[in-house]
Amino acid sequence: MKYGQRSFIFTFLFIPVVIYVIFVAIPYVTSMAVSFTKWRGLTMDLPFNGVNNFVKLFNDPNFWNALGHNAIALVVLPPVIITMALIFAFLFTQGIRGSGFFRITFFFPQVMSAIIVGVLWSFIYHPTLGMLNGLLGLLGITSLQNFPWLGDPSTVFGAILVVTVWQAVGFYMVLFITGMETIPSHFYEAARLDGANSFMMFTRITIPMLWEAIRTAIVFLALGAMDMYAIVMIMTNGSGGPSRGADVVPRYMVEAAFTNGEWGYATAMAVVLMLIILALSILSLRFTRRETLEY
Amino acid sequence: MLDKKRFSRRTFIKGSVMIGGAAALAACGAPATTAPTAAPAATSAPAATTAPAAAKLDLPFPVDPAAMDPFKLDVKVPVDGQFFSGGFGDEYIRYAAKIEEMIHPGLKVNVTALQKVQETLQPRFVSGNPPDVIDNSGAGQFKTVDLVNQGQLLELTELFEAPALDTPGKKFKDTLFPGSQVAGVVFNGKQYGVNVAYTVSGIWWSKTLADKNGWKYPATWDDMLAFCDQIKKGGKYAPWTYQGKYPYYMSGIVWEQLLYKAGGNDVVLKIDNLEPNAWKDPAALRATEAMYALYDKGYIMPGTAGLTHTEAQAEWLKNKAVFLPCGTWLENEMKTVTPADFNMVMNGVPGFADGKGDQKGIFANGGEPYVVPAKAKNTKGGLEYLRCILSKSSAKWFAENVSSMMPVIGATEGAKISDGMKSALAVVQNAGSAIIDVEVGNYYSKIETELELHTGELLTGKLKPADFLDTMQKVADGVAKDPDIPKQKHVI
Repeated sequence: MKYGQRSFIFTFLFIPVVIYVIFVAIPYVTSMAVSFTKWRGLTMDLPFNGVNNFVKLFNDPNFWNALGHNAIALVVLPPVIITMALIFAFLFTQGIRGSGFFRITFFFPQVMSAIIVGVLWSFIYHPTLGMLNGLLGLLGITSLQNFPWLGDPSTVFGAILVVTVWQAVGFYMVLFITGMETIPSHFYEAARLDGANSFMMFTRITIPMLWEAIRTAIVFLALGAMDMYAIVMIMTNGSGGPSRGADVVPRYMVEAAFTNGEWGYATAMAVVLMLIILALSILSLRFTRRETLEY
Repeated sequence: MLDKKRFSRRTFIKGSVMIGGAAALAACGAPATTAPTAAPAATSAPAATTAPAAAKLDLPFPVDPAAMDPFKLDVKVPVDGQFFSGGFGDEYIRYAAKIEEMIHPGLKVNVTALQKVQETLQPRFVSGNPPDVIDNSGAGQFKTVDLVNQGQLLELTELFEAPALDTPGKKFKDTLFPGSQVAGVVFNGKQYGVNVAYTVSGIWWSKTLADKNGWKYPATWDDMLAFCDQIKKGGKYAPWTYQGKYPYYMSGIVWEQLLYKAGGNDVVLKIDNLEPNAWKDPAALRATEAMYALYDKGYIMPGTAGLTHTEAQAEWLKNKAVFLPCGTWLENEMKTVTPADFNMVMNGVPGFADGKGDQKGIFANGGEPYVVPAKAKNTKGGLEYLRCILSKSSAKWFAENVSSMMPVIGATEGAKISDGMKSALAVVQNAGSAIIDVEVGNYYSKIETELELHTGELLTGKLKPADFLDTMQKVADGVAKDPDIPKQKHVI
């Protein structure tokens, strides 16, 4: 019996493990090897380059600039998105009229691909035809007439972060709504009998009971903040700029590989990024660990 | 494709014609240039009489017996051609393949149309199995210089010395426009590709608007600035706009031509060859200050920096701005949105009365580079394909169906040429032998990227001309010192 069970498990695991090894493990290990070479990407010629790629990376201001933008996203996105998603989730579980409509509306951006979202928002930010400058004009703010939101290094990254928030909030709202709906209502009834107001119930019951979902959100968002490739590519037309004002590491990596032909260097960047992400996910899981409540 | 990077912009601008347009189009999904595909081979009037691919040797044009098979093809080995298909479509590519098949009965020429050339073909290079001929263009093209540096491209001397297909008595190289086969295809003095499309790049305006207002195109850059002042004071139009998010239209078309006009080939060669303090040359400062004046005096249309190339061009078509830098692909690219009464014509970049370069000079070169990989199975088939695509017959088909030009002498006789192209050819005629050739961006991707980036900063006032040149000098020094970057030598 025991033997049969084992072979049963083995058969189930075998195929996924093989696929994982071929398509994930081997490429990862290979790329670590490639990151120590001067590979130019066109032949199988891989001249060993020691740690030079990593030294160069450390001294490359463009890399630090790109990493800095990822760091800003890491600091800004999780708290903003989670707070907004929690507020909306709370509002739309209070039996307000039309909350079904709002749930769908807020979730909608999640269904659209980053490409479509990026293109749509590029129109919104358009200096002359854009909705944003149009609205500002209606409000009488004429000093920003024709302001190129995506054409100025000081505003381009902020403009992109707004889009990222807009796209992500709906998904986490739905995640939290699902969580909130599983919280037994007698918790709230008991609290109300004890004289708790809505705010206290939100902070003392809802958030602790939702902690597992919030934790998931933190990890997802932290990892997402280290990426941002698609939206940055679309909204900066691939340049990460102007003046690299919205550059992120994955985009700069593509520039190093595809534009400059420095595949070894780009691979070193990928390895560093992977280590950062690995560390981040371990840290965020550690620091958000709490006792879960059984009910 | 925004993944612009897309592209080797430089080649695009400078040389490559429509690629840019094409890439661009692909980027915006605005198929303004579907014209070529809309006109399949069969409908091409003059060529069509003979075009039907008969296996027998009834050729659409007479071919010298000596010019039939200079490379001694083995017709049993098929030709594997991988081609970027963008603004020009791929019918013209298939047309040339048909010619090759007709001349060599039994030969099979396989045409594959691609979008992302590098992504698709890189694995084939790595595994040592590259195709026989490539149209290396578009947003995802290989940097030609990378392919050259890795020893991946065949040198084309054999092709250039071969007899031309349908220009009797001439060698292949003598049938092409002078100056058209340099930009982006010659490295360290060796020919590694052919430019299949012909582009002229300069400054465009609406002839209709100019006639209506009785404007005369400024002769020098000082006149240009004085004229801009007059337009600005008029208050009806902004004097200038450019392809905001892609400032390389300004660096590649305006700045580089100003540089040549201020300092002649001396300064161009200093910069191309990474000489110390090349960017500190007084001519470079003069060119930079000239371009910067457009921003400094407020001549650039507000909001320009936030526009893509097609958006900026669309604003220009609405007469929001008078001047726009671009190449001859502009007409085709904007075809579907050009108002009927907007007669766009191209002019040279006005220079300096006391400049050292030839003040009539112009960027007039080829684009849409085609290459033959050195390690291909059938390099002869690839060479023969290039001979066919740059034949008179193919060039005529191209002019009539794609409304663009191949750099083939005499191919457009009797063909209809657009007004924009005519105006550009007039500028070329006037320039005579003064075809400007600045290669630094083709040689060094990093300089190309940084030049574009800092040009954007210059044109939005974030850098002053002197700081711009300091920064570029540092970039050039960095490239010069980097042992990983193979160096090129530009000789004129």
